[in-house]
Amino acid sequence: MTILSAPPALSADPSPRRSAAAPKKRRRIALRLLALVVLYGLWELAARTTRNPTFIPSPGAVWHQLIQTSTTHDGVRGYSGSLLIEHLGISLRRILIGSVIGVAGGLVLGVLMGVISWLRVVTEPVVTFVRALPPLAYFSLFIIWFGIDETPKLWLLSIAALPPVAVATAAAVQGAPTGLVEAARALGAGRWEVVRDVTLPNALPEIFTGVRLAVGMAYSSVVAAETINGVPGIGGMVRDAQRYSQTDVVVLGLFAIGLSGLLIDALLRTAENRLIPWRGRA
Amino acid sequence: MSSADAIKLADVEHRYGDVTAVGPVDLTVPSGEFLVLVGASGCGKSTLLRLIAGFEEPTFGTVHTSGSPPVPGRGAGLVFQQPRLFPWRSVGGNIALALKYAGQSASTADVELLLERVGLHDVARRRTWQISGGQQQRVAIARALAVDNPLLLLDEPFAALDALTRERLQEDLRTVSATRTCVFVTHSVDEAVFLGSRVVVLTPRPGRVALDLPIDLPRTGITPDELRGLPEFAALRAEVGAAVRSRTEVTA
Repeated sequence: MTILSAPPALSADPSPRRSAAAPKKRRRIALRLLALVVLYGLWELAARTTRNPTFIPSPGAVWHQLIQTSTTHDGVRGYSGSLLIEHLGISLRRILIGSVIGVAGGLVLGVLMGVISWLRVVTEPVVTFVRALPPLAYFSLFIIWFGIDETPKLWLLSIAALPPVAVATAAAVQGAPTGLVEAARALGAGRWEVVRDVTLPNALPEIFTGVRLAVGMAYSSVVAAETINGVPGIGGMVRDAQRYSQTDVVVLGLFAIGLSGLLIDALLRTAENRLIPWRGRA
Repeated sequence: MSSADAIKLADVEHRYGDVTAVGPVDLTVPSGEFLVLVGASGCGKSTLLRLIAGFEEPTFGTVHTSGSPPVPGRGAGLVFQQPRLFPWRSVGGNIALALKYAGQSASTADVELLLERVGLHDVARRRTWQISGGQQQRVAIARALAVDNPLLLLDEPFAALDALTRERLQEDLRTVSATRTCVFVTHSVDEAVFLGSRVVVLTPRPGRVALDLPIDLPRTGITPDELRGLPEFAALRAEVGAAVRSRTEVTA
């Protein structure tokens, strides 16, 4: 038998790369901090120049509202009886439930659309139609159907989250590489085994991108979902403050939504890197 | 088709639209033979292999493997030009999948054993992109050999590898394929004569049999270098090379 020893594996020592990457990372952080300082300066300048806190509240005023809405003061608890963190928590709960339902529905629909061609022909225009609608447009319909409690809000967020996942999943499933499908078939895989073992894992990177977009859609729709009977809720708080021209509270609410959105996207990115290490290597 | 025939192609022709890629071809491959299909690029070698694997159906004629029309994944292991490993599975996971589809045990020990057959050690847990191209192709061969299929089909499996790795894998393939009927596609004349017990040279498109040559060289008790150094090896290589060149020049 002439089996020779295989050549050594390509295993790179990560330490030199890490040491080279460290200054780059520090530079990136420094640049971001600098950008924040510049933005803060511009904001402060704009607030002082306009001298109209209803038009542009100063950073100090927004900071003051952060303290006010996060504490009990003069017998008033936070904003409209709930602390800022509670408003945010309730909105995040709505976003989470809406996203989970939307992502699950989008995943199932996307796989079916990708695998069954006649279903794709039928559903694709519907998904594109819903995707093009602004959330407020169908929210009125949900209010008529389901009233003003939690149900229409969750419906709105679910419907907003569904299309990005469905479209991304369908495209990825449909575009499964022939080479890998044939490789599985050559090993004896049946149609659904190919879907389970090749098509879906191969589609995971695109599905994850769809999930991130879906969560983003749910986030951007939360203010619309909390337009009616939205307090407690960060969107409801923003709408309420807008009615009373409390621009500093509106800006605070926008910061709360934006920053929590950034945090959740970072968590999703981390999960993606851990769950899909083969991204870009297939 | 006699019971000893592993593959039988009768008057096979295959077209892609108006273009005839292959045929007509008549070819019978007895069990245990190592058949190598050689020819210029685009002559239909791979199409012929895909017909034998069951991935294509002939436009005319019939293809039979072990007495019945071929079905992908049944009765034949297949190795492609690219390893086509599943990157979401570990090296061992790729092998285990083949065993799973065949309803066989896919224990760590089984997987390790299969990898050792192709000269790989301690790679089962690695990711597919963490091993070299040559190692990946070894894994692809191990995966195709995982199930005890009577047929092994290989479509230019070493074409993308460097010369040294290619020679090593050729030697290993001779060993691991000893008990099977093999059909190997290549455009390398040297590889064809080194591996094959029979070489079929195809004409440029549409691919037809231009030369059907038995390779009667000693396979045991001789090193690869000694085999390549035999005058008979040189003579056969010259004959096959001349057939490939003459057919290419006719159409050029």
